[in-house]
Amino acid sequence: MPLVLKGVMQSPVTPLKEDFSPDLETFERLLDFHVRTGATAISWPHHKGESLNLTIPERKAFAEVAVKVVAGRVPVSIHVSALSLRDSMDLARHAESIGADAIIAITPYFWNPTPEAIYEYFVKLGTTIDLPLIAYNSPSYLEGVELTGELTKRLIERLPNFVGMKEASFNSEKYLEIARVALPLRPTFAMISGVEFLAPAIPMGGAGSYSSAGAICPRLCIELYEACAKGESVKARELQFKLALLWDLFRDQYPSSLKGGMVLMGRPVGPTRPPLPTASKERIAYIGKQLQALGIMDTEPHGW
Amino acid sequence: MVTPMFTPGFVHTPVTPFAADETIDWSSFGRLLDFHIANGAQALALPMHVAESVSLTDAEQREVVFFALEKARGKIPVIAHVSDAGTTIAADRAAHAERAGAAAIVITTPYYWTPPADMLLEHFHQIGASVRIPVFLWHAPDEMRGSKITTDLVLKLISRLPNFVGVVDSSNDWQFQINVLSNAQRARPAFQLACGTEYFASAGANGATGFFSALAGVAPVLTRRLYEICRKEDYFEARPLQTHLAALHRIVKSGGFAGLKSALRAMERDCGIPRPPMEPLDASREQGFLGELRRFPPLGAEPRGW
Repeated sequence: MPLVLKGVMQSPVTPLKEDFSPDLETFERLLDFHVRTGATAISWPHHKGESLNLTIPERKAFAEVAVKVVAGRVPVSIHVSALSLRDSMDLARHAESIGADAIIAITPYFWNPTPEAIYEYFVKLGTTIDLPLIAYNSPSYLEGVELTGELTKRLIERLPNFVGMKEASFNSEKYLEIARVALPLRPTFAMISGVEFLAPAIPMGGAGSYSSAGAICPRLCIELYEACAKGESVKARELQFKLALLWDLFRDQYPSSLKGGMVLMGRPVGPTRPPLPTASKERIAYIGKQLQALGIMDTEPHGW
Repeated sequence: MVTPMFTPGFVHTPVTPFAADETIDWSSFGRLLDFHIANGAQALALPMHVAESVSLTDAEQREVVFFALEKARGKIPVIAHVSDAGTTIAADRAAHAERAGAAAIVITTPYYWTPPADMLLEHFHQIGASVRIPVFLWHAPDEMRGSKITTDLVLKLISRLPNFVGVVDSSNDWQFQINVLSNAQRARPAFQLACGTEYFASAGANGATGFFSALAGVAPVLTRRLYEICRKEDYFEARPLQTHLAALHRIVKSGGFAGLKSALRAMERDCGIPRPPMEPLDASREQGFLGELRRFPPLGAEPRGW
């Protein structure tokens, strides 16, 4: 199917059983929930999906389930970043072999590579497979290692399959510099915000977001996107402020609190693997009070 | 004390012109302030870091504010930047600015020191309590690498300081802008966010109503248009203007700290070179820099000279 990256795209969490083993059955239900509640694309496993706490065979097994269950209803992107770049290449080739629609990859972990090394990494990844490639920029989490406007320009010129970026700097200057360079070169280039920071992004050329809170409140996320897309700035800001409160609630030990909130919404997905904590009963009770106060419990879907 | 109302709007942040002997060039400064007032400024804020506040003596900083107040009297308000390392030094400067007629003060975190959170709160409280005019905190984490302004600090200061009316944000950080404004407005509904950089469109979408612009001295038409369109909340229409301004900002930034004064010279508004320890662009670099500015089409619509 043609790859269209627009609107509220969902990056599901990874369901685990109480013994922390993969819960593929619940993953199937979660994927189906996201597609039925308006996800315009599925992308898994982002850090919210505990990507780095899964083994490579586990990642491949979940990816196969994602492609099978979504079954072409919306595009499926596979996040292939791993500590070892050899593993990233392996995951990229696997994604292509199982029929995924795209891959997504962040700048390398741990090391502090030069801009040239970052460029070479993405060229290698993008030429290893024929699938569309989405780059993932997160300079605050990776200590300043980032895709600049200049690197983005060079990669667009080099890679015909470089189709978009998950831009998670949350910074006007960085975001606009990439959009300013990329969109004239490749007008279909998708600038996708991390989390639901849509109000400041959509008017500056943003295509949508990879949702944080979509497993809790998909209606609110879509309402925000639609207000932004229609240019309803005042309404968008009100909704953005509400989602910011949810982000404050869930960002702590992400995605532990998110998984805790899903229990309250009737969509339990099990614990979070160490070293991240699993939300305690007290934490879940606190989240419940906040969700109640924000009206989420009464306005968003319960259960699967 | 009742919280005073003051909405700064479109704020120009002028540089400080220096003569060849490194003294303040008052004649050029007068012309520069007249230019800002005649070219769309709704308020002036000075001496900000782009005005080399940190390279001015305490007496010079007071004189700069006093001079600007005389120039702007009856026309537009002046916001005095009074930051310093020591709390009482900054508080005295704030009180002086109020006596001289400043409409508001703006302060950032202390220079050099990294006090604990309770002392940072005390620092801002003492400076803010030394005046009755509105107080803005200036969040500039890229320049002020020690202490940080947080939402928690802002909320505590709101509870202690009735004349604390807003934050000027130079971080460009959406998370900070949304978090601080959404929380502060629950405690003080009229609390304001102003954008302290040239990236007003996204800040406006996040709720910023004020725009502190250094490039207003270079491109007053572009910056004013951007401000007006954003205040109408039409951010899609703002995008091309914001994209031009971002490109101009990038060119000027490529010249380092001296880039702004070189850009002013390119627009035939010579304000000299920066005071040491900041260095001017060397001749060959300035030539390349000026060439890039000349090739930047949006500057064709901007005023040249004074």
